[in-house]
Formats: sequence, C-alpha cells, structure tokens
Amino acid sequence: MSYRIGVDIGGTFTDFCAFDEESRAVHTLKVLSTPDKPGQEVVHGLSALQERYGIAPADVSYFTHGTTVGVNTVIQRKGVNLCLFTTKNFEDVLEVARLKMPDPYDLFSRRPVPLVTKEKVFQIGGRILADGSEEEPVDEESVRAAIAGVRAAGGEAVVVALLHAYRNAAHEHRVRDIVHAEAPDLAVICACDVWPVIREYERTVTAVVAGYVQPRVADYLTALEESLAGAGVPAEPMITKSNGGIMSAALGKTQCAQMLLSGTAAGVIGASYVARMTESANTMSIDIGGTSADVAFIRDGAPQFGVGEMIGEFPIHIPTVSVTSIGEGGGSIAWVDAQGVLKVGPESAGSDPGPACYGKGGTRAAITDAFCVCGFLGQADLGYSAVHIDAVLARKAVGEVAKKLGLGLQETAEAIIQVAVSGMYLEVSKLLSRYGIDPREFTLQAFGGAGPMLACFVARELGMQRIVVPTTPGVLSAFGGLIADIKNDFIKTVYCDLDTATDVLREGYAELERSATVWLRDEQGFTGDATLLYTADIRYRGQSFEIETILQEGWVKTGDLASIADAFHAEHARVYDHADEEAAVQIINLRLVIVGTAPKPELNPLAKGSAAPEPIGEIDVFYDGGTHKAALYDRTALLSGQRIEGPAVIQQDDCTTCILGGYTVEIDPYGNLLISG
Amino acid sequence: MAIDKVTLGILANHCAAAAESMAFTLYRTAHSTFVKETEDFTTGLTTPDGQTFATPTDLGATWFVGLNYGNVIRAFDDYEDGDICMTNDPYSGYVCTHPPDMHLWKPIFHEGEIVCFAVGHVHNTDVGGAVPASLSRTLTEVHQEGIRIPPTKLLSAGVLNQPILDVIRTNVRVPDQNWGDLKAQIAAMNTGERKVKEMIARFGIETFRQGMFDLMDYAEAQTRDLVRGLPDGVYEFSDYLDEDSAGGHPCRIALKLTIEGDGIEFDFTGSDPQLESSINMPTGGDPRHILMMVGLDYVLYSLDPSILLNSGMTRVCHCILPKGTIVNPEFPAAVGMRSLTESRVMDVIFGAFAQVAPDRLAAGSASGGPIMNVNSVDHRTGRRVVASIDPISGGAGGNPREDGTDGSGGNSSFLKNTPVEINEAEVPIRILRYGLTKDSSGAGRYRGGLATELEFRVYAPNTKITARNRDRNRFRAWGTMGGRAGGPSSFLLNPGSNHEVDLGNTDILTVAPGDVIKVACGGAGGWGNPWERPAEDVFMDVRRGFVSPERAEQDYGVVLENGGIDEAATEHRRNDMKSQASDAFFDFGSERNEFEAVWTRANYDVLTEGLAALPTHWRFFIKGRVFEAVAKLEAGGATSDGTALAAIMRDIVAEYPQLTATQTY
Repeated sequence: MSYRIGVDIGGTFTDFCAFDEESRAVHTLKVLSTPDKPGQEVVHGLSALQERYGIAPADVSYFTHGTTVGVNTVIQRKGVNLCLFTTKNFEDVLEVARLKMPDPYDLFSRRPVPLVTKEKVFQIGGRILADGSEEEPVDEESVRAAIAGVRAAGGEAVVVALLHAYRNAAHEHRVRDIVHAEAPDLAVICACDVWPVIREYERTVTAVVAGYVQPRVADYLTALEESLAGAGVPAEPMITKSNGGIMSAALGKTQCAQMLLSGTAAGVIGASYVARMTESANTMSIDIGGTSADVAFIRDGAPQFGVGEMIGEFPIHIPTVSVTSIGEGGGSIAWVDAQGVLKVGPESAGSDPGPACYGKGGTRAAITDAFCVCGFLGQADLGYSAVHIDAVLARKAVGEVAKKLGLGLQETAEAIIQVAVSGMYLEVSKLLSRYGIDPREFTLQAFGGAGPMLACFVARELGMQRIVVPTTPGVLSAFGGLIADIKNDFIKTVYCDLDTATDVLREGYAELERSATVWLRDEQGFTGDATLLYTADIRYRGQSFEIETILQEGWVKTGDLASIADAFHAEHARVYDHADEEAAVQIINLRLVIVGTAPKPELNPLAKGSAAPEPIGEIDVFYDGGTHKAALYDRTALLSGQRIEGPAVIQQDDCTTCILGGYTVEIDPYGNLLISG
Repeated sequence: MAIDKVTLGILANHCAAAAESMAFTLYRTAHSTFVKETEDFTTGLTTPDGQTFATPTDLGATWFVGLNYGNVIRAFDDYEDGDICMTNDPYSGYVCTHPPDMHLWKPIFHEGEIVCFAVGHVHNTDVGGAVPASLSRTLTEVHQEGIRIPPTKLLSAGVLNQPILDVIRTNVRVPDQNWGDLKAQIAAMNTGERKVKEMIARFGIETFRQGMFDLMDYAEAQTRDLVRGLPDGVYEFSDYLDEDSAGGHPCRIALKLTIEGDGIEFDFTGSDPQLESSINMPTGGDPRHILMMVGLDYVLYSLDPSILLNSGMTRVCHCILPKGTIVNPEFPAAVGMRSLTESRVMDVIFGAFAQVAPDRLAAGSASGGPIMNVNSVDHRTGRRVVASIDPISGGAGGNPREDGTDGSGGNSSFLKNTPVEINEAEVPIRILRYGLTKDSSGAGRYRGGLATELEFRVYAPNTKITARNRDRNRFRAWGTMGGRAGGPSSFLLNPGSNHEVDLGNTDILTVAPGDVIKVACGGAGGWGNPWERPAEDVFMDVRRGFVSPERAEQDYGVVLENGGIDEAATEHRRNDMKSQASDAFFDFGSERNEFEAVWTRANYDVLTEGLAALPTHWRFFIKGRVFEAVAKLEAGGATSDGTALAAIMRDIVAEYPQLTATQTY
C-alpha cells in the first residue's frame, strides 16, 4: 500500500486529498484547523483518513502541504521584532513606499503601517552606483552604531537592503558579516538574497515581509515535521510555493518568502490540471469561499504569473501564480442602504458565525442563506457533515431584508443572489479588460465551498458558455499540491540595451543555471528529470514597466538577439495590442525557472453509465422570478457519460452544484461536471 | 417611472463595470509612458445630454467625476453610428480644461437612436506650442499652448478623418505618441459601446434609459442626505498662490460657502482677476464646472465613501464665478497650468468645509511640490535624456482622529514616485537623498503629514531642470483647531555650500556639472493643540527622525533630556503654551500673517472690487501697479480699512485717461 497525500491548511478548514497509488482512487476529507496548535490538524486528519479510508500513516509515501501561516503572521502582525538597515539618506523607503494611496478619492486614505517602523530603521554609510561600481565603501562604524540601535530596540532580526545591491551584493554581504561577527545571535537577511531585482521599495518590502515571518514559519515547519514523524509518516514533507511549485519543508525554513501564497497557488495548479484534463485550455478559475472569491486565468493550460501579489497589506515581488481576490463569498452579508438599495458585502459572516442557516449564531442574511431560501441548499449537510443547514434560520434572516425591500421572501433571496453576482461581474470585468480577455473564449472553472453553487449565475452574467466543476471542488488546493512540480525561480538584473547584450545574456544565464542546479540537486536533493525555462523582463526604452518574455535556450546560447526582439514585440502586441519594431529595446532582468518533474498521479476513470442518472429526489427551486421543479442528485452516484438537464441540484460532501434551467451537464470520464448553456 | 431599487443596484454594478473596463482598456493599450505612470486620463458614460452617470474609480485622474459633456455634444446635430468626436480646446464649451487634454465622445445607438455617450480624455505629453510638453507658467495666451482642435469628428461613421489627424501630427512634438494614445482612447470608446449594448440586452432598453437617470438621482439623494446633516451657515475662506505669474505678486482665491438645507453655494467673488500667465481656470462661468467641483467631491466622498461617484452628487452645489477672474477667464487667457490654481481652489474649499465640520475634516493638505524633469546628456552613453524623475509630494493634514499621512495623501494621493534605482540607471544624475523632510509637518494634537524631499547632483553642462507646479514657498498649508501651519516648500541650488541659491518658486533653470539641487514639498497642517499631543508620541516622532528635539520643545512643549522626556520641564513648558494660546480656528504661519497685516481683508476686497470695475484686459496690469505702490509705502502707510488703498487705486487709474472717469472706488 502506498498513498500520496496533499494537505491545504486554511484559516477554518484543513483539506486532505489522498491518492491511492494502487487503486488510483482519490479520497478527500476536511477537518477543522487548529491555528493555536499548528501541526495538530494534520494529526487529526491523518487519523480521520485512517478511520474513514483505512490509510495508515506508515503507508504515506509522499506528503505535500500548503499553509497560510506566513500570511496570517503578517495579517495578525505577530512576526518577529525586526529592524531594517538602509543606505544612508534613503531610510524612509518603507514609509514613502511608491506614494500612491489605496483610495485616491478619499482624503483619509492611508498606507498600512510598515512592518518595520522608522525608529527601527538604521542608516548605513557607503554607496554602490547603478552600474554596480562602488562609490564609497561601507562605513563600518555606521554598522556598529546600527547594531547598537537594534540592541536598544530589542530587535531579534535584521533585514539589510541597500541601494543597487541587485547589481552588486558586496555591501549587503559585508554588513551581514559584520553583524554575524559582532552580534551572532541576530538573524540577518539580505534583500539581494531574497529576490535581487531593481526597484528599492519593492525589493526591500519583499525582504521585510520574508524576515518578519521567517522564524514563525520555520518554527511551524519544525512542529509539522515532528507531528508527522510522531504520527509515523515516513515521507519527508514538501511544501507548496507561491510560484505553484513545491520544495522540501527543510528548505522552506530558510526560503519562506517563496511559500507565502502556497494555498492559493496550489489551487490554481489543481485548476490548471483539471483544465487540461477537460480540454479547456483557456480557463478562468474562481475559488469562492466564505469571505472571498479568488480569480485566476489559465491560458493554454498554464497558470499566469505575476509579481506584486498582496500578503495582507503588503505587496511581495517574487514570481507568484497570479490570483486576484474579490471581497465576496458565500458569507457576504446583504443589507439595504438609506436610499433603499440592496447591497451585498463587503461585510462577511465568514465561517464564524457563518451564514444564519449554519445555526452558529449568525442572524444577518448571507449569500448562502439566499441559496437556502431559494431551495438550492438544505437538502443535505455541508462540509463532511460538519455543518447542518437550518432553512428556518435562513428564512428569518432573509425575511428581515425582505421587509426593508418590500418584496417577497424568495424574490428577496433571488435579488440577493443577483446583486452578489453583479458585484462579481464588476470585479471580473475589470480583470478581463486589464488582461484583454474575451470571456466567451474561456471556460469557467468553479471550486471552493461556494463556487459550484454560484457558477451558473456567474457564467450567465459574464456570457461564458462553458463551466467545469472538478470532482473535488472543496479540496482542489490540496489536490494541486499533490501534482505540483519541484520548482524555483532565479533572477539577475542586467539593465542594458538588447543590441549589446550578447555577452551579458550568455554569462548571466550561465550564472543563473549554476545557481539553479545547486538549488535543485544540492539543496533540494532532487535526482529526477529537470527542465530549465528561460525568460527575460524586457521593455522599450522609456517605458517604466517590463514584460516577461519567454526565450528559447538556443537564442540565449548563440546570442540570437533578433529572435529575442521579435519574441518581445510579439508579446508586447499580445499584451498591449501594439508593438514598435523601430524602438530601442532594453533588457532589464534575466530569469530562469528550474523545474524538477514530480511524479503525477494517474487518476482512475469512472465507470461508464449507460442510462440517465437516477435522482435522489425532486425539489422546488426559485430563480428567474418563479418556482421550478429540480431533480436532486448525489454526485458520488454519477457515472461517466451521463447527462443531466437543468434545473438540477447536485450535492456532494464538500459543496453543492446548482444547475439552472437551459443548462446541460455531462459527466466526463474522470467525474468532472461539464456544464454548457 | 424610476426602476426598482434591486435592479438599480445591479445596474450600478454593470455601469461601473463598463466605466472600469473602458479605463483598463485605455490603460492597457496606451502608448505613452506618461499615461501609464501618471494615470492622467478618464473614461465614462454620459446621458444623451452629457451628464456623466458612470465613472471608474480604480484607475485614472480623480478630478473629473461628473464632468458634463453637454456643451461639446451639442456641437453636432448629425451624429451617425460609428462617429467619434474630439476636442482639446478649452474655449469650445469648457469641457476640456487645458490643451494637453484630448477629450473624445462617441454616440451609442440603439435602433437608430442615441442612448448615451462613451466619453473620456487623455493628458497628452505634448500638443505643440511654445514649449516642450506645452505647459509653462510664462505663457500668456492659449494660442501659445499648443494646437487646439475645436469639436471635430475624428471618425465619421467609422471612417478616420485623416486630414485632421495629419494636422495634429504635424503640430506636435512626438506625433506617434499622440496617435498611439488616441488609438487607445478609441479602443476604450468601443469597449464602452460594447458594454452598453450588453447592458441593453441584459436589462432592456427602457430600464437602461431610465436607469442612467436613476443612478444620478441615487447619488444626488445620497449627497443631499449628507449635506442635510451639515450645519446651515455661511463660511468664508481664502488662500493665496505665492505668485500670479513668474516672479509676480500673490494671488487670492476667495470663497463664500453657504449651506442651506440640502443645498450648497460656492461664491468665488473676490478672487483675483484673470492673469497674464497660464494659471487661469477656464470654467465659462458654468455653475457646476468640474474644476470647481473637485474639492467638493473629495469632501463629500471622504465624509461618506458610499456615495456613488457620478454627476448626481454635484447637483447639490452651484457656483458664482465672476467673469474676467482667475476662476472664469475670458478668451484668450492662457490656462495650461490651471492645475497649480486648482490645487489652491481645493484648499479653499477644504478650508471652508473645515469650519463646517471641524470634528470630521482635516487641516490643510500639503501642496506646492513640483513634478521634476531633467533634460541632460548621459555621459555613460552620450545620449540625451529627457525624463520626469519624481513628483515631489507632501502629506495630508492632521485630522480629528489621527495624524495626516506622510509623503502623500489628502488630495495628492494618486501619483506614484520613480524608484531611486531606476532614476540613477536612466538619468545622468546621482541622487543624494530621497525621503521625508524633518520638521516639515504642522504641529498639532494630530500632526500634519511630512513632505518629501529629493536632492541630486547633475553631471552634464547645460542640464535643464524644470519644476512644474512650484508653490507654497511663501504661504503655507494651514492648521486648524489650534494645529499649526505646515512648513514651506523649498527649492535650493547647492544647499549648504557657500554658493547656495534659494530658487523660490522658480520653475525652470539651467545648471552646471557638479551642481546639487534640493527640492522639497510643503508640509501639511496640524489639527488640534500641539500641547495636547501625548508626549510619548512626540518623543516617538523624534526617535523616528520626523521632528527635531528643538521643534519638539518649541512646537509641542516636550522637553527631552538624556534620551527621554523631562516630565517636569515638559509640564511647565506646556502650561506656558496653553496660557498663551490663541483661540483662532486657523493658523496660517507668520508669512501670511505679515502679508495680511498690510493686505487686510478690507484692503484686498477694495482691490478686487476695484479691478472688477475695470475692463478685463486692464485688471492684471493695474493689480501689478497697486502691489508695487503698496510695497513702497512706509510701514503702517496702508490703513487696514481699505481707505488708503482706495486712494492708491484712484491715483493709479487716474494716470490712464483712457479708463473712463466714471469709475468710482
């Protein structure tokens, strides 16, 4: 017996996805998270897996997991007492940031208080210039004075972030060495070692977030390793990374900046896998939970990457699977404003107390309550029987809103759904225009606890004709970790004109290749197949932003600058609808990704069904202003090739899929629901 | 009949989606870095008569909520499907407010009838004219400020008007950039049209038609609720620009704000005459002109961020804008740098409202920091580099709940800076300092935000530095409720050396290799009595390097000793401060106090009233003569009641018999 297990630890639930390598069956499970005792939920889940599916810890041959411990440390501001060393006269880098405020229409808009406030920022004399040359050596006295300042402030760790260190790390490393020598107990992180990219605020804030969470993440990973070992799991744990890959937990203790968005990224990796499996290469995935909806775009079966994703209130500038969070989820609360207009959110009942129908003390109507009043929910319990749906409470809560609107109960419930969906429409529309995407060419893949419930409504509003609901919509992040590859990113800022870049490219990539190989083979200890992906951040001279352009290894090795320029022009045209082949081209950063291919589970196809599936009941559902008879199905009984005509409701352990009239469902060979309308 | 409130809420989201989608499309496809960096553009949807009912809030300039396109829409009565019209002429309907802004509008048809318009503008880096970038305080007629296109069809029934495009291309400095950005605007118009057609399909034509107006009624109702909650009354406030022209005299913007029930009146009578420089505000006297609504929109939205941003919110207000003044100049007054004046107009509106709701609104925001440009030759490449290096911004005023934000905030929240590392890599300068300016904030229970400062050395001869929008070098951001005025802005050449030069409000200069430039914005005003600020907070400001120990003692009465607070000395000093406190609502700083000791309210009123009686083209000239005459008076020579000033004006006017003898003062 041998099992591969993926785990995603969220704020409320911890999701398990277990793959049986012999039977090729996938088993899923949710247990409550235990934020106070990290690692404990894993132990709970392992024993539940044993009870429910007979999976013995000793048979776990592969274990990956994603965690929000890093993000939560930032959000709750529970990181270490951190100090920052900057170049002298540039000490306000965190205070000033990039100037722009979150809401420029609001005279009271504010930036978040930095994780390192100014009294813990110390100035270091010495200067590196833009070309990497040293203008003035490190003022060692200033370092000693800074160390004394750290002592006085009770600092536990130091981030060193000096100007132009992406080009020449000598000063940052010299400062680090002095701190090591004079104050060996202080942890030191050099920003150039976290992500050596030009732009001082971005590089500094990334290192500061990393330094702030590092000890917490390391402690957590140690606790996890101990829990697993204690439970008798022989596999060395792997953790999912923000870039959609995985690395060993041991490595995560020092490279925690890489794993801050591990759960969301793994969800998109899972969604990409489902997209390829269901032949929907262009997919918009939407992961709707209790308080928010995470939207990601998958093109040609691959997730999109970006930098500047938010960790709590701070952007982190390392390559990350691009996900946009919308502040609306199943727990978003409906209310009526002073002018009598119905609104939904941004306030959310979250998971505690949760929607009124959960019976945990919530009294205000949430989106989930509206679905309950419309008859879509309440036929069975949710979340592996963790939640019982009480339709009476839902009707009471929605009734309060109905009174204010002067509408009937079900009309009000449908109005809540419509307003909520139009809010998602607004946010998704922005993304579509931002990326230049025509939604009609994309498949909507819905997952998360509330995704399949809302999928038809959202697709209809956006004009999307095809919807996919994966087999395990509630635990897709855990599944994503299970199939993710070992992966790391490397960057080198070169900042030069492309037409003189031949040597820079050859030498720069050679250096990155060496670092990548050391990481994969020595640090990660990986011995399997590996591939290298070459990209570069390129722009037209005068632009203030770059486009990451995919390069071929041959162009880099032979100095084929013309092909690189062509690839950039084409990518510029794709992203911005125009290109300028006459303009001078600058190459700002070289990037390299190394990927060690992890073994992929081969899923078991479902048995083929010959007849129409048997409903387990018939229910009344309310939508489009009227009551409709809908067939109710148990998802586990559905067979490959079977078809269902809407209106219908398909329920399963971790979520409910609502099918509106006019939509048809086909069950694919692996049990995914392919919905078209 | 109004559409139901549930549909209205859903339609609001769809209309917002249309406006935002237009903005993202424009931003994504724009060619110029200027558009991408400054986001100085707008998009939106208007009713057939030009009222904006949908505005983006994620992207774009914040000044144009509720811009009314009616005057330019009415320029044509032969719209066809596929038309896209344009204008950048401030004097053709007062929709455009300076020539760099190219406004477009596109009729959207349904079954042969115009349902609404897609609209928007882009600030072009250059539209030709006397100076690169088309903007300079020194320009005196709009003709010098670039090519002006009166309302014209850029596309007629989908066919490009190539001749007009060729004329534009011939007259601007970087034609590909203007054309590239125009294409992005066209793409945004088309996105708007597509979204409107989707809405018509989704909601039905009647619901959509009615819904546009209901959305504005909704914003109006929200706004009227808010205004009704503000105390009725008349609130007066004025503030000054340091200079009415390069090296000129102060320029007053005066406002009488009246709140009555759910309505607001702005009376700008008493503001300076129109100027022989480019800081005039072309409003055409429109009682709800967008330039006069910006400060109002900020105040209303900040008091209630749930207000829908569309032209419904501005219906609560109307303005009195006397003809021939800086707030309603006559053709062909230059207007390119109206943003400098706009900033002060906003301050005046904020100052009036600060008296309406002192417990809800902030002290004066920082302003007067320039957008810095460097034109030099890079010794590393031999290439000429023309680059905008940074906006020099300052923070928000202190408010009744917390300190003003440092470095940016208040009404200067949308600009981004350029990283030091990018500037040093791109531009042949070496940056010596970029950060917050110590002691620049106005003291208060809640202090004002600190200014930013930038110091750099240049390497090439004949390097030209432009510092557009310099101000507040003399008259500072005001404090309220006992809070102090913020610090002045500054612009220095070779600071701290024996050849230091105070550049004042200079906005263009040529420097030599090795010269160092230091520029700082003004700081923001404080709110509440400084001695009520907890001593620990003051001490923390000192530890953070925001306030010097000297100023901690002088401004806050916090005496520091041996790395801590001297409690006894602090209490003593604070008691002294308290006993000497004035009960003035505003603190303007000594510079304005000194100026107003001569130029009292009565004296300045005599000046503006007297000037208003003269022909428009005489006013600026006579104003200059009067200021010169007053400057020559002995101390105390000008009475405070206006009588001496009236005599001076009479004498000056009498020198010019061509001015009719019937004028009286």
